[in-house]
Amino acid sequence: MSIWMILAYIFLIVFGAWLLYKTFRTGDRRFIYLAVGFYVVFPILITLDLPTSISPEAEQLYDAVDTLPDSSVVMLTFDYYPSTLAETEPMSRAALHHLFRKDCRVVTMTTIPLGGPSIAERVTREVADEYDKVYGIDYVNLGYKANYVAVLKGMGTSIKKIYPTDNSGTPVSEIPMMEDIRNYDDIDFIFVVADNAIVDIWMAIVNAQYDIQVGTGVTAVMAPKFFAYIGSGQMTGMLGGMKGAAEYEALEKQAGTASKGMGAQSLVHLFIIVSVMVGNIIFFFERKPGDKK
Amino acid sequence: MRTTVPVIIAFLSGFAMILLFFISPEHSKIGTVELEPEVLSWVTIVGGFTLLLGVVSILRVNYVAVQRKKEGWIYNLATLVSIFAMAIPAILPESWSPLLGTGTGSIYDWLFNNLDAPMMSTMFAMLAFYIASAAFRAFRARNAEATLLLITAALVMLWRVPMGEMLLSGIHESIPEKINTYIMNGANLAVQRGILIGAALGAAAMSLRIMLGIERTYMGK
Repeated sequence: MSIWMILAYIFLIVFGAWLLYKTFRTGDRRFIYLAVGFYVVFPILITLDLPTSISPEAEQLYDAVDTLPDSSVVMLTFDYYPSTLAETEPMSRAALHHLFRKDCRVVTMTTIPLGGPSIAERVTREVADEYDKVYGIDYVNLGYKANYVAVLKGMGTSIKKIYPTDNSGTPVSEIPMMEDIRNYDDIDFIFVVADNAIVDIWMAIVNAQYDIQVGTGVTAVMAPKFFAYIGSGQMTGMLGGMKGAAEYEALEKQAGTASKGMGAQSLVHLFIIVSVMVGNIIFFFERKPGDKK
Repeated sequence: MRTTVPVIIAFLSGFAMILLFFISPEHSKIGTVELEPEVLSWVTIVGGFTLLLGVVSILRVNYVAVQRKKEGWIYNLATLVSIFAMAIPAILPESWSPLLGTGTGSIYDWLFNNLDAPMMSTMFAMLAFYIASAAFRAFRARNAEATLLLITAALVMLWRVPMGEMLLSGIHESIPEKINTYIMNGANLAVQRGILIGAALGAAAMSLRIMLGIERTYMGK
């Protein structure tokens, strides 16, 4: 570690401690806000090189995709709102790097009307261009259709019936890649990236009724719920939050925004834990005998 | 009549979906019509109409507020302008101009990527400040249960970030793995399974109530 990094870490600790001291002295929560802002911005200015360990769930998902035969058909969903882009977009990007590197054919879709099709269009095209992939041959964006339960169930019988046209209005029957993709029978893996309860529907309808492998990338607050599906063997791997995205980036050796975000997330988490601990120590010593509050 | 007809429609729709679950699509044909895709197409169409209903409702509420100059009517006006600014260029056909439609480079696409997405991300990012402030004020070891919650939360928060994981490994290298095994795949998994099963049973009971006409709140009753 260089002398500058040691100085940077000392500065981080001293400034954080000062802000915490000011918070407790004044009771002004704005010092907490300032500290959070500082710990988010600092790692953008000075990169903190942190090793990312890989969780068993992320490894399971990566291995499942990696063992697919080349040119397999994979459905990648963009089931998230713009508000969670920081966590979910890096997952989609890392997944697309992996899939295009393996020459998989990618079908993208979304169950989110607000921005889902636009995000899918932008992210897929940007990554596809890096691998010289052609729309309609290597990937297709089906876009959005209302009523997700009917959409997910209906694709089990006929994708063309549910999506007569792709996101830009081209009839699906005219898209070369979709000629031999009729329903879930022709899809080898489904990679769901989501920030809402749609994951339950993918598991209950698509995985349970059509016996197709489903792996997921979800936001950090959602991840604990889906350990139940991992434990039962229904879900084939999971990425939890920005850390999960960073794990997939590390496995794919494509350091992206999630890996860069680990510095900020580490510092903010540590600050919150330290502030809670210090608050509890003060609470413990200031508590009067018999005080139950 | 106003109650009976919706109840009959709800019952038949629900019954058809349950029936189709147990019959393979090949065996659910009536003449040349495959019943399952047909029913699902109808569900999608009805879903589209609910979106339309939402748009009409928001337009009406905001228009009335602007017309009557209610307090904060300027925000209602901003909502109306935003709806039309996004919707009109998106609805008009792309064949007229590359700026129309929803494709890359269109007005809709530009507004979404440069206004909508950053604003929504900013709103969500603001939560970090409030969560930090709330955590430090609310997480108090008042009793044994609160202390257990506090310790578990601290361990999971540390485990979920590289720096915290390094700290935990520094104490003992097996700690991160043990958190994954005993907290996330142990206590957490058991509780989540209970919640999932409970929610599924609740959903099934509620569906049955709607189908049988016992639950009628969706009709405004």
